Amino acid sequence: MDFLQPVLDGFGVVLAPNNLLYCLLGVLIGMLIGVLPGLGPAATIAILLPLTYGIEPVTAIIMLAGIFYGAQYGGTITSVLLRLPGEASSVVTVFDGYMLAKKGKAGTALGIAAIGSFIGGTIGIIGLTFLAPVVAGFALDFGPPEYAALALLGILLVATISNGSKTKALIAAAFGLLLATVGRDVFTGAERFTFGNLDLADGIDFVPVAMGLFGLGEILYNLEERHRAAKAPAKVANVWPSRADLKQSSGAIGRGSVLGFFLGILPGGGATISSLAAYAMEKKRAKDPSRFGKGAVEGVAGPETANNAAATSSFIPLLTLGIPANATMALMFGALLIQGVTPGPQLVDQHPDLFWGVVNSMYIGNILLLIMSIPLVGIFVKILRVRAAILAPITALITMLGAYTINNSMFDVVLVVVFGIIGYLMKKFGFEPGPLVLAFVLGSLLEANLRRSLLVLNGDLGGFFGRPISATLLVLFVVVAVWPMIQSLLARRKAAAAVDTFKTKENA
Amino acid sequence: MKAFPVRRAIVGLASASAILALTACGGNVGSGSSGTEESYPTKPINVTVGAAAGGSTDLIARAIAEGASEDLGVAMPVVNKPGANGALAAKEVQGKPADGYELATLNASLITITPLAVGESEAVSIDDFEVITGLSQDDYVMVANPEAGVKTVEDLTKKDGLSFGTTGVGTGSQLAQALLLKQADIKGTEVPFDSGAPAVTAVLGNQVQVATVQLGEAKAQIDAGKLVPIVVFSTERNEFLPDVPTATEEGYDVPVSQYRAMVAPKGTPEEVKTRLKTAFENTFKTEAYQQFNEQNLLTPKEISGEEVVTEWTELAEKYKELTEEYGISLKES
Amino acid sequence: MNETANMTSVPAGPDEDLTPEQLAAQWEAEAPPAGGPIANFAAAAVATVLGAAGMVLSLQLGLGTPSQPQPGLWPFVMSLVITVLGLAQLIIGRKGGEGEKFSKLSWLVLFGAATLIGLVALMPVIGFEIPSLLLCFVWMKFLGGESWRSAVLYSVLVVAAFYGIFILGLGTTIPHLF
Repeated sequence: MDFLQPVLDGFGVVLAPNNLLYCLLGVLIGMLIGVLPGLGPAATIAILLPLTYGIEPVTAIIMLAGIFYGAQYGGTITSVLLRLPGEASSVVTVFDGYMLAKKGKAGTALGIAAIGSFIGGTIGIIGLTFLAPVVAGFALDFGPPEYAALALLGILLVATISNGSKTKALIAAAFGLLLATVGRDVFTGAERFTFGNLDLADGIDFVPVAMGLFGLGEILYNLEERHRAAKAPAKVANVWPSRADLKQSSGAIGRGSVLGFFLGILPGGGATISSLAAYAMEKKRAKDPSRFGKGAVEGVAGPETANNAAATSSFIPLLTLGIPANATMALMFGALLIQGVTPGPQLVDQHPDLFWGVVNSMYIGNILLLIMSIPLVGIFVKILRVRAAILAPITALITMLGAYTINNSMFDVVLVVVFGIIGYLMKKFGFEPGPLVLAFVLGSLLEANLRRSLLVLNGDLGGFFGRPISATLLVLFVVVAVWPMIQSLLARRKAAAAVDTFKTKENA
Repeated sequence: MKAFPVRRAIVGLASASAILALTACGGNVGSGSSGTEESYPTKPINVTVGAAAGGSTDLIARAIAEGASEDLGVAMPVVNKPGANGALAAKEVQGKPADGYELATLNASLITITPLAVGESEAVSIDDFEVITGLSQDDYVMVANPEAGVKTVEDLTKKDGLSFGTTGVGTGSQLAQALLLKQADIKGTEVPFDSGAPAVTAVLGNQVQVATVQLGEAKAQIDAGKLVPIVVFSTERNEFLPDVPTATEEGYDVPVSQYRAMVAPKGTPEEVKTRLKTAFENTFKTEAYQQFNEQNLLTPKEISGEEVVTEWTELAEKYKELTEEYGISLKES
Repeated sequence: MNETANMTSVPAGPDEDLTPEQLAAQWEAEAPPAGGPIANFAAAAVATVLGAAGMVLSLQLGLGTPSQPQPGLWPFVMSLVITVLGLAQLIIGRKGGEGEKFSKLSWLVLFGAATLIGLVALMPVIGFEIPSLLLCFVWMKFLGGESWRSAVLYSVLVVAAFYGIFILGLGTTIPHLF
């Protein structure tokens, strides 16, 4: 079984005490920030990026991944017990989870959520295990034209599928691409937009940009957010769901796994969208939809399974193609680049220990979460009482001092503050920072490979269509670019036909 | 990757505890008056590296610092300050007090090649430093995809339309390849990559047919038969690739290698320099350091500071002449 | 600024038995109001101006041709995209309705950002300890509405902890006074 050997070796990597420790640390931090409203996983990962400098790439990504899926678990706890969604991906869990808690079945809700999350995560991992080698088979066929097409497609997808205004998302993405051109041009050595500043000669570092836009930007934004006061939490008893509950939710868990898995792979998708979709699906399928919102177990099982399946499967495009599917994955991409590893089709071959180590760590991490999440509920509820007023300066200082330690440079700290303010303003004016960061990460990859392609293809743009992979990707690009227009056309026609029967509601 | 993070952790731990023990609680803001009256060294010595952690310059700095710190009896933490090919770190160390507590590991290419590619503001002169000792030599090798059907420089001259990958603008790889192409009158397109690894991958996938990279980046693939070594650019044959001819042997004037040296700010006292030199020389003799060189395919070039200055200055002039003679500009691809 | 402490709590009403729809509606109502036409104009205008500035700077770098590109070509294309999208946004979003309105609480952010800038300016000169202490105190007392006692206590504890971790523990080279 040659095929399974690297998978087994991957387990060896995770079970190394060091990696196991960081995995535990990651899921703990993840759960913690999932519990605390305010900072999300993207902000936390951005703030903690400097911490990964001194450790090995595998260990670093294992920890960061742990934060990501751990947050999905943590968000559930506050949703169920306090009706406070700690994470965007747990908002729908509030509806039925809190009702269950009010009926004295808080333990059941948490237990089902944990089991569903575990199964969802596991399905994601199995999918990743089988899909990755297939993609890796094409690895060496990926030359500059393919990379350019792939990066172009990824940026477009994230910009168009994100929430809010599409035009603003595209502006943010284009600005990210422009920002990536600062520094010395790889091809001519000419300095671009550096204004004679030696600190900018190598371009703007990804980490301060991410720490600023996601981390400090969010901290500043939270300064003016009104926090809902925490209520006295519901009592947690009989954590293990009854056989009847399990039977009732097994279908929802199965459907949630599959739905989450596929929505997670799509760029722009991810945990939040899949939890919403899973809730909608369960409600639609139910024989008695009126039970939803009054404590239906499926209403917890479906979304919680889906968000974890999606959190895992969103690693697929990153680790196999080098295309981050959402903002958090863009941070993972940056973290890997810092470690000298370029995610892409070659990753599985060149760094099998890293690939399988990270994939299998999610398996171990899910087990850790399953074991820990319930006994730790009491502690998390206590942590919720730590006042935001005290946490805010602590996170701000961690960000600032952490930024300094990356390159021992005050300039990076200045950048973090500048991008923190930009991040705050972007949020206020309705620009998503996600597409900007993503485009910034992929920017130099895109430009360099585009120009490299033109060199290899002797300046013939048509050459892109002469290569099967790049041609396919570009056709996809056109489809994605044109699809929203077709969709809105269709919707308008439909709406016109059925204008009397119902009003179409746009998803804002 | 390999084993260095463990070593790094140990060095880090050692330096942290040494800082604790030796400096107690001395601030580092506006420091300058450190009593060098007592026998040097009395506190940790910073080694600044103008490259990111994990690269070959960083690994070399850590290996030498590890050995020398044992000999000197103080910690020698390595501080990474990447940026502008190392110019950022070099300029910073220039401005540090010349008391022997601020050292740097310098790349020759920063002195000899970078000035050909960038403006005045980034150029760094070796005369602004006290060179303590030379360290080692890292050779460039030109490799080809086996399917390209080229084994020698002569084969290359007969082919048309090949693309040649380099590891970036202002690197030895670019200079060496450009000089060879020009001197041998080879037609081809130069394709710059961001660093060695992607260039090697591109050759493996036959995206470009030929590339010039540092030996360490291609050795495994050469041994596995996936890359064909064509020529090395050192003046003498590389001990790790004894069967591959040098460009000089083939009759081309392309003496390009990467060299590294330990330097201190200008004006460092003579006795401090002597003490450091002894420490480095003792490190060179240790088996651990020699093994490190072997593993990383580095050829020792442990020459004196004066020799480093002479050699690097000569090389800088030589490269300038060669690029002018053959009408090569590193600023354009 | 002390009123902010009280404003953070939402009146606990008889909202225990809300349906999901009602709950969602309640959250919607609690969310800050969206920005108006002026905010849209400002945002789109800034994007357009940035794009135009990018085009001018890129032109100075030289464009070249697609097969022989100069360093300015790619940034020029990106700047052009920003400018066009910025102009489009001026029209698309002319009614407003995106983003969030600035409120009285936004002053807190301005104040917070100013303290961060102060920290950056002072850190290389007098080390991180005193500026961090001040920042912690200001954020806890004036931005967060903590009491004098807890603000002082926690600020000192936080800075001491950071000193222990970053300077004594990790041995980083962060500028420090002590």
